[in-house]
Amino acid sequence: MAMYGVPPGITNPPSPLPAGADGEHPKTTGTLVLVFVFLAAFATYYFVNWKLLSLVWRIG
Amino acid sequence: MHTALEPPKGVWWKPAGRAEKLWVGIAFGWCLVLFAMMPLWHLKGEQNTTGIRRKVEPEAFQARTIEFIQQYQIGTEKGIPVVEPPPGSDVYLLARMWNWVPILKLQKGAEYTLHLSSMDLNHGFNLYPMNINLQVVPDYDYALRIVPGEAGDLRIVCNEFCGIGHHTMIGKLIVVDESAETVTYGGGER
Amino acid sequence: MSTAFRTCPVTRLKVHSQADALIKANAVAATIFLIVGGIAAFLVLLTRWQVVHLLDAAWFYRMLTIHGMSMLIFFILFFEMAVLYFAGPVVLSSRVPAPRIGWLSFVVMAIGALTVEWAMWTGRADVMFSSYVPLKAHWSYYLGVILFAVGALTVVGLFFASLVVAKRERTYEGSIPLVTFGALTAAIIAVVTLGHGAAIYIPTFLWSIGVMHVDPAVYRLVFWGLGHSAQQINLGAMVALWYMLGALTVGAVVLNEKISRSAFVLYILFINMAAAHHLLVDPVAGPAWKVWNTSYAMYLAVLASMVHGFTIPAGIEVGQRLRGVTQGMFGWLRKAPWGDPGFSSLIFSIVIFGFVGGITGVTFGTEQINLIAHNTLRIPGHFHATVVGGTALAFMGATYYLIPLIFRKQVAFWPLAKIQPYVFAFGMLVFTMAMTFAGTFGVPRRHWDITFSNTSFDLQYSPAVDLVIGIMAVGGLIAALGGAMYVLVTVWSVFFGRRFDLETVKTGGQI
Repeated sequence: MAMYGVPPGITNPPSPLPAGADGEHPKTTGTLVLVFVFLAAFATYYFVNWKLLSLVWRIG
Repeated sequence: MHTALEPPKGVWWKPAGRAEKLWVGIAFGWCLVLFAMMPLWHLKGEQNTTGIRRKVEPEAFQARTIEFIQQYQIGTEKGIPVVEPPPGSDVYLLARMWNWVPILKLQKGAEYTLHLSSMDLNHGFNLYPMNINLQVVPDYDYALRIVPGEAGDLRIVCNEFCGIGHHTMIGKLIVVDESAETVTYGGGER
Repeated sequence: MSTAFRTCPVTRLKVHSQADALIKANAVAATIFLIVGGIAAFLVLLTRWQVVHLLDAAWFYRMLTIHGMSMLIFFILFFEMAVLYFAGPVVLSSRVPAPRIGWLSFVVMAIGALTVEWAMWTGRADVMFSSYVPLKAHWSYYLGVILFAVGALTVVGLFFASLVVAKRERTYEGSIPLVTFGALTAAIIAVVTLGHGAAIYIPTFLWSIGVMHVDPAVYRLVFWGLGHSAQQINLGAMVALWYMLGALTVGAVVLNEKISRSAFVLYILFINMAAAHHLLVDPVAGPAWKVWNTSYAMYLAVLASMVHGFTIPAGIEVGQRLRGVTQGMFGWLRKAPWGDPGFSSLIFSIVIFGFVGGITGVTFGTEQINLIAHNTLRIPGHFHATVVGGTALAFMGATYYLIPLIFRKQVAFWPLAKIQPYVFAFGMLVFTMAMTFAGTFGVPRRHWDITFSNTSFDLQYSPAVDLVIGIMAVGGLIAALGGAMYVLVTVWSVFFGRRFDLETVKTGGQI
């Protein structure tokens, strides 16, 4: 039931979790894929910057 | 299971699931890589920030800079002395509102010890077009060994806010290649 | 003072009327400073876009100072005070202890903030957010900051007291919820931060009236104990709101309390030392100090953020799967309520904070890499992604729930509110990435004229810089439009909005 000016999380709150769901939870494959994409982006940007640094003058 | 708005009841210190353990382990491993890179670069890399760092009175630094200028001055441009120190020497660059003194003329491939300090406020040393950045703090002398890698007509931009004239604070640094023709960077001579 | 409670028809939480009132007051104050800081942002942007170059130099630096203080200190901290009143008394169904002190702190903070604004607008404090000694502002500027910090610190104390009261009066069973735990870490970091604030602003105030000397390098060290740690208050509050928005919008679960809470504790333990990454190319500290503080210390805080960056989406995924949304690998994300501005804000906030803000921050905070990043546009590019694309966007998402739940008003211009996170996030994404990229060419931050039109030596950046700055400006303008939409929606809802009464729509509903 949608209502003007009220977020759906309030008018249609998430249904209660099925009983006995405690303990083992379903797999989080989707999230794992996303965090690995993040790690790949992180590593790429990080090492590209080391490469950029290596191109400037010797300093120390 | 419960949401983050509900108080967990009983003991919540429970073993983590496999996916959580896997990610925490990988993330920690990555953090170790991040940690290892800095000491490694001190050993193998050619760009470091260590230098020689010590306290200095602004007046003393200015006196030393003037002495340095008198010793090696070869000319003047826009009212600022041009100085050509010999390779291997200590060179002094003074930041003040709002210019860099003097104009240094250095040789490509030679090593110099570059001393930076400020007469008044914090300034920022940004070398164009190399994009080397250092903080210039009054009362402190930052001395770094530096080896110009390319010849050219370079600029020193102030990149720390230092008052109303901050954006006019620009200096010049010339690098000559004794063995080849000079390459011109940026806008060149005016 | 009234001590009546109402029961929230949505969350079933008992809400103390003083908590309601204090949240409203602090949220309204936050919005006022958001408007001030936003106007300043718009003017600064149109000046740095050299095609327009709107302000003269004096007003550019003045506006930049106003933008920094209004946003980074006044907007964010007032909003965080509201978050503390929410995460403490409201989430725990408890009363606000000593509400009079809450109001007194509010007044002290307001007086402090107005004093600083007065000093800045009248040209007595053109010193930037960082106000590096020996660059001097009028003494009233430092005094205003001290007053504001004292007020904020008192609210933090009140938050701790509310936890004790709730525990003693048994308003909840078990341990405090994760959202409250996150707010607690933000509050603990706030104590450390404001301690540094006192340690630096009191001597600086005394210096400004000529009583004592402040060493410029020591100032930079202690100032960043405040300046950077203050961003970790934002971080703690933002992550707490991420968990809250996940719970409210899709019923996200907590995968493992131990992991999430340990990650919050890592923030408390290590983030303060990470302030060292502001001094990586300073002429004082040696390599061991730099490496220690920015590696062991900072990377354990980075680890904490990477853990939250997993547990929050995974909590959403598990919550969705448990409710039968099991199609494929990303069905849980595709079937999510993308029309709920609380949800879209949450996802965009995580993405911009992590992918742009986090990655750039850790990279630039590496000892040697800082040589090619310090004080260039790469730095504001990084922190606009964390503080604006991350924190401010999460605050915006939370506001869409705050308006019906606390102000008990319907969100006005609802279709506009639904697209607002998309506009703002897209603008910020373009803006921050372009700004960071421009900095790669060495373009300085805090600079009025990068064409160097009136200088003794000329400098002409590559034409690519003009293009990138142009893209940055367009992104910034889109973000400004998104910000204006947010202000319009919230101000209209709060002052002219229709009353929200859930009972007329349906009865009850547990989260």
